[in-house]
Amino acid sequence: MALFQISEPGESHAKEACTTGAVGIDLGTTNSLIAIVLGDGKPHALAIDEGSTLLPSAVHYGSGGGPGSVVVGGAARRLAAEFPRDTVVSVKRFMGRSSADPETRRLSPYRFAEGESGVVRFVVDGGRVVNPVEVSAEILRALRTRAEERLGIKVHQAVITVPAYFDDAQRQATKEAGRLAGLEVLRLLNEPTAAALAYGLDKRSEGKFAVYDLGGGTFDISILQLQAGVFEVKAVGGDSALGGDDFDRALAEILLGNQPRTPHKIREAIDAAKQAKEDLTRVEVTEAMGKRVTQSQLESAIRPLIEKTGGPSRRALRDAGVPEGKGLDGVILVGGSTRVPAVRRYVRELFGMEPLADIDPDEVVALGAAVQADLLTAESPQHDVLLLDVTPLSLGLETMGGLVEKLILRNTTIPVRATQEFTTFADGQSGMDIHVLQGERELVPDNRSLAKFTLSGIPPLPAGLARVAVTFQVDADGILSVTAREQLTGVSQTITVKPSHGLTDEEIERMLLASIEHAEQDVQARLLIDNRVEAQRILKATEKQLESNGDLLAPEERRQIEAQMAAVQKAALGTDHNAIHSEVEKLDQVSADFAKRVMDRGIERALKGHSVGEFDQGELSPHAQKAYSALRDAEETTD
Amino acid sequence: MSARTCWSCGGAVAASDALCPACGKVQPAPAAGTQPDRFATLGFEPSFDEPAGLDETFRALSRKLHPDRFARATPQERRYSLEQTTRLNEAYKTLKDPVRRAEHLLSLRGVQGDPKMSPEFLEQTMEDREKLLEAKMSGEPLDALAAGVREKRDRTLLDVRRLVENGGDLSRAAELLARMRYYARYLDEVEGRSVEL
Repeated sequence: MALFQISEPGESHAKEACTTGAVGIDLGTTNSLIAIVLGDGKPHALAIDEGSTLLPSAVHYGSGGGPGSVVVGGAARRLAAEFPRDTVVSVKRFMGRSSADPETRRLSPYRFAEGESGVVRFVVDGGRVVNPVEVSAEILRALRTRAEERLGIKVHQAVITVPAYFDDAQRQATKEAGRLAGLEVLRLLNEPTAAALAYGLDKRSEGKFAVYDLGGGTFDISILQLQAGVFEVKAVGGDSALGGDDFDRALAEILLGNQPRTPHKIREAIDAAKQAKEDLTRVEVTEAMGKRVTQSQLESAIRPLIEKTGGPSRRALRDAGVPEGKGLDGVILVGGSTRVPAVRRYVRELFGMEPLADIDPDEVVALGAAVQADLLTAESPQHDVLLLDVTPLSLGLETMGGLVEKLILRNTTIPVRATQEFTTFADGQSGMDIHVLQGERELVPDNRSLAKFTLSGIPPLPAGLARVAVTFQVDADGILSVTAREQLTGVSQTITVKPSHGLTDEEIERMLLASIEHAEQDVQARLLIDNRVEAQRILKATEKQLESNGDLLAPEERRQIEAQMAAVQKAALGTDHNAIHSEVEKLDQVSADFAKRVMDRGIERALKGHSVGEFDQGELSPHAQKAYSALRDAEETTD
Repeated sequence: MSARTCWSCGGAVAASDALCPACGKVQPAPAAGTQPDRFATLGFEPSFDEPAGLDETFRALSRKLHPDRFARATPQERRYSLEQTTRLNEAYKTLKDPVRRAEHLLSLRGVQGDPKMSPEFLEQTMEDREKLLEAKMSGEPLDALAAGVREKRDRTLLDVRRLVENGGDLSRAAELLARMRYYARYLDEVEGRSVEL
């Protein structure tokens, strides 16, 4: 109804209808939308491009529109075929991405400028240079000005949605684009959370919901709980290299059969597949490239792809404490690809219930963002609900041995803070390198490096005495700041993590998937480090015993032990943790007798008035410890 | 505990008050370095078991303190809101988890530092892990192994509870509690595999 009222640009009308002028924006890869809560208390997507609520996320510079001009939306998309280099499409893929990234060049027909800061920069018509933040700002500016024309009021505040998996750099870049477009960015909101907000309020129900978001190229899953006016995100997950485009390719394979595969033929097959997929959301049978295609044919072609959404979904359910979806109250469908009947069928099986799809999956994210904008700005918001979001990936620091110490685990409610104390490694050490990482893996190189900085001015103290407290603070937008503080002197340093380049969804997802695939490999790496440390410890302890109790050994025995020590040393230089372990075991065996004699001497001394407890057990190998315990027990029973 | 006054109305404010009892304005979080009582942050008495109404209290306080509620307020109040919400989230996370809650309870009773693990326990842990590795290699089902460790974990937590509630040896309780990390890590490894397959 309200949409009806504003379809005629009557100024006074619109002013009454909407209270604050704060909008919700879905800044999408393919299309962008803008929505606002009106006087009826409901969010409405505004028709802003050629009568549609979808503004294609395409920006054309110069050429077609005349020198120095900028064209945004459907018109720009049509110019892309003729001027591919001057028309930036899918700019979202470049947000926060480094120009050094090989993916950057693989993705596109663009010309790139060499940038000093590592940020991607496109060279467009007339030699003009623009970066992804500026291109995104053009889209946001188009959304803002067209919404202003439509509503007859100024739009100056916005909630902008981002994929749940956007990292720090990508969030910062999105916020920056908003500012460039003349918008105060009230909040960055995760897309699935926005969708849930639109549904949760619409249904006015309480409970736990899953948001299953399958777009053209990405899959996102979120589990949320709505209770007592608080919307709590419990877990997020996804696979950002999976979407409807993969379905098209799978069906195109079938359409092509054994025809010769020229680029032109492949293009034709993919277009035909896309159309057939669309048709099959309404009818049982259709035709493509002269072939009869049924729903069940499509389903068997794409079923293996659809099933790939199962893993991340199950993990998110487990993280959220609703394993197998037991106790879930609803499943919300978002994204164009959820229109495919086979996807709905799979979702039904996976979660054991009929999914909700009564809000247009293309608009639902923008509608949710508009609700949040209203919540943040209205004197008395239309819906009295609070959103509690989480960190999508774990945050940690590099520690000795190239391992990651996680300070904040993924799926922790934000804002959040965590502090960990570290100490110096060397005597008189005056500086400490702080390396901030994001990801789930155990080893540093397998995670994303967010920032590196040095805390200097630590007072010269013996190793292990200085105390440096490192604090991570994540704010309500999911943006991280790090403080390192030396406790004695109070020397401190704070940075907001603002890297010049970022990870793409794909990279984050790859890292997440890799963390599962490589869990075994990580265990191996950790075992290697552990075994090396153990080997060094045993070598040192044995050396010490040789020094103080060496007189207990015959020369031949000593030679044997020393030879085995050399073998341990050698194995520790290698990468086979089993080899290190077995050499350490052998050292244990050849020195077992020696250890027993050392014990005996200890007991002898103990009987002369010293306690066995004075022995430092920590310096003995597990076998020696076992021998030691046995001896002590024997000692106690003979007492 | 030093007396605080509200920055806005000058009324008396207790350390655990996030909002001024008189004027309702959000207050700065207590200075870092003071030993925080996570139970008090949510208005509970320290307890071994999860306080009744924890979730409801957390939600109600979130609704009052969250930065979203201060989007239109002054920068000062927005900062206080961020501090208070951070503190609330930390407290909730601590109280929601049985092990973190017990650890915090012990620290409130003055038990500090990392307890030494007994060699017997470490030996047992190594054996458990070896068995797990072997089972993984040979593709045996891990359910029985996991069940065994889960049972040990539950029994240990009961022992901790007995020590804490009957005025037993708290450093012994801390040592038992430290074992929970080993159990948790073990079970993570088992589940990590079975969920992904």
